[in-house]
Amino acid sequence: MRFLDSLIGFLLAAAKWLALPIVTLLFLQWPLRTMLGLYSREANDLGQWLFAIYVAASISAATRAKAHLAADTIARNYSRATRGRLARAGAVFGLIPWSVIVLVTSWSLVRDSTLLLERFPDTGNPGYFIIKLALLLMALLVLVQGLLDLMPPVRQPSSQ
Amino acid sequence: MTELMPWLGLSLLLLVGLGVVFTGIPAAVVLLAAACFGAVAGAISGTVPVQLLGALPERLINLLENDLLQAIPLYVLMGTLINRLPIADALYRCCLVFAPGPAAPVVSGIALGALLGPMNGSVGASVLALSRVAEPRLAASGISLPRRAAVITVASTLGVVVPPSLVLILLGDAMLNAHTIAVTTTGRDDRVINTQDVFHGALVPAALYLAACLIIGWWFNRRSKPGETAPLKTALRPTVQQAVLAIVTVSAILILLGGVATGYFYAVEAAAMGGFILLLAGFVSGRLPLPVLNEILREALVLTGALFFLLVAATTLTLVLRILGTDQLVAGWIAAIPGGTLSATLIVLAGIALSALVLDAFEIIFVVVPIVIPPLLIRVADARWVAVLVLLALQASFINPLIGYAVMMTRAILKQAIPFPALLRSLAPYLFAQAALLLAVLLVPQLTHVGEGVGDRSRKPPAISNEELERRFEQMLPPAEPPPLDVEPRR
Repeated sequence: MRFLDSLIGFLLAAAKWLALPIVTLLFLQWPLRTMLGLYSREANDLGQWLFAIYVAASISAATRAKAHLAADTIARNYSRATRGRLARAGAVFGLIPWSVIVLVTSWSLVRDSTLLLERFPDTGNPGYFIIKLALLLMALLVLVQGLLDLMPPVRQPSSQ
Repeated sequence: MTELMPWLGLSLLLLVGLGVVFTGIPAAVVLLAAACFGAVAGAISGTVPVQLLGALPERLINLLENDLLQAIPLYVLMGTLINRLPIADALYRCCLVFAPGPAAPVVSGIALGALLGPMNGSVGASVLALSRVAEPRLAASGISLPRRAAVITVASTLGVVVPPSLVLILLGDAMLNAHTIAVTTTGRDDRVINTQDVFHGALVPAALYLAACLIIGWWFNRRSKPGETAPLKTALRPTVQQAVLAIVTVSAILILLGGVATGYFYAVEAAAMGGFILLLAGFVSGRLPLPVLNEILREALVLTGALFFLLVAATTLTLVLRILGTDQLVAGWIAAIPGGTLSATLIVLAGIALSALVLDAFEIIFVVVPIVIPPLLIRVADARWVAVLVLLALQASFINPLIGYAVMMTRAILKQAIPFPALLRSLAPYLFAQAALLLAVLLVPQLTHVGEGVGDRSRKPPAISNEELERRFEQMLPPAEPPPLDVEPRR
């Protein structure tokens, strides 16, 4: 369990660096389009699949850092144990079933796209299948994180 | 059994509201739990074909490949960079120079909120920046905790209506989808609105609200402890370097706003440009050593995840509500509202305001807007007006004293117990201004159409006069034979 937790921590720590190429590529779109008239679509497509992977990782990063938006005006009066039970109920009735539904319903779509190495429909640039793979990655990370949250804690929040 | 399913969807919405308020579980998890419950209940009862859930992956992939949503990490990164770089401090000091009298710290705090809003795009990032830069100075000026909290809360939401804010971009996208449904259903020849239209429509109301907030800030603090403000103004006089930084920042904001407003570049490109420039400035000035950059990027990833998870959860719940037929039930109700455009709009806005008691702006955009706005736009042709009204209602939802996102963020960051009645009293003038503006826009739709061209509302080509028609016809004719020359050509 500790290994799984460390592995996810490592993956998320690596994913945060994707923000730098995403900003750079999306910024470059404008000068490439208006000044050179070249490669702006390529910059956009590349930024697109990096963005998909970044977002897929970001949800579990927020879960681990306990940063999801929550209204605790009333719940802050609950005991620590009650809040823990409620959080586990959230994992059991929300995170885990949702991720299972997504994994099951998207499997064939993602598999076909990956086997075909699907390209972007508008531009024909390679890498569109990565966006679909990112969905699978997102659901998988949410599932594993949801299961980890049901176990006794092995780390402090927000450590990545 | 089938006819009960739309009602199950409605009860799920109620369940979401109660779950968010009473459990303290993240709103996105509550949305997902409600969606899963609805899907399972529909499947077990045999009224909902399980295959319909197969549409979920396509919808989620749409989120991952949506150009507009790329703005989320860009804005979040900009917000975290602004928090680490000395920009907000320089801007606050310069505002302090221009703001008059004892109310200067409050007026400067509000002005800082308006300046930061378009740059960092998200309310959370604005709350962080204002709490760090303005709050200690407000405290030093002797302004009470509830008033400080009210100023930070209100100032942090000013960016919501100032383009290109994140809320504005996301609402623009939701409105585009809703208007497309309405235009397709009715067969009207309206031009479908886009984010740019919502930007333009919001400009005048945003300017009015900003002016109202500045006046309120000045009026309620004009006599507060004058002896404590003067030393503060002297101590915080900006250095030449800070003044230059403030001028460059304001110029950059104006260029970005102007570029987006005129359509010279897209909102996402403007956000990327802002983020890129801030990163570059941080590297060049040596203010982004590796440990700081590491922390900024971690924070940006986490905040992006918090926002995007809401989007994913709301997309899932919206699909389940559609499968259950709840959208049709609500559409039927909206179609049956007696009276004309105004009464229908008023009742839908009241519904959104009611949702704002338990949901925040992002959840409203992703869950409520797709259900209630398409049927409203079927009845009301002026989509730009409706978009701005929804935007103002969303802005009000941020400062909802009970669970408004900006209020919750401010409470969490200030880490001091603020009595609810005192906070309500401090927020009341701003809430009143917000309500008055909403009413003004409701009664005077022209406020959202300032500078709009004649042909902007319709896909139909503009009507042309007979003279213009003849002129164009003549232009289409082949040129006449060249006239004979008066002089004989040279041989």
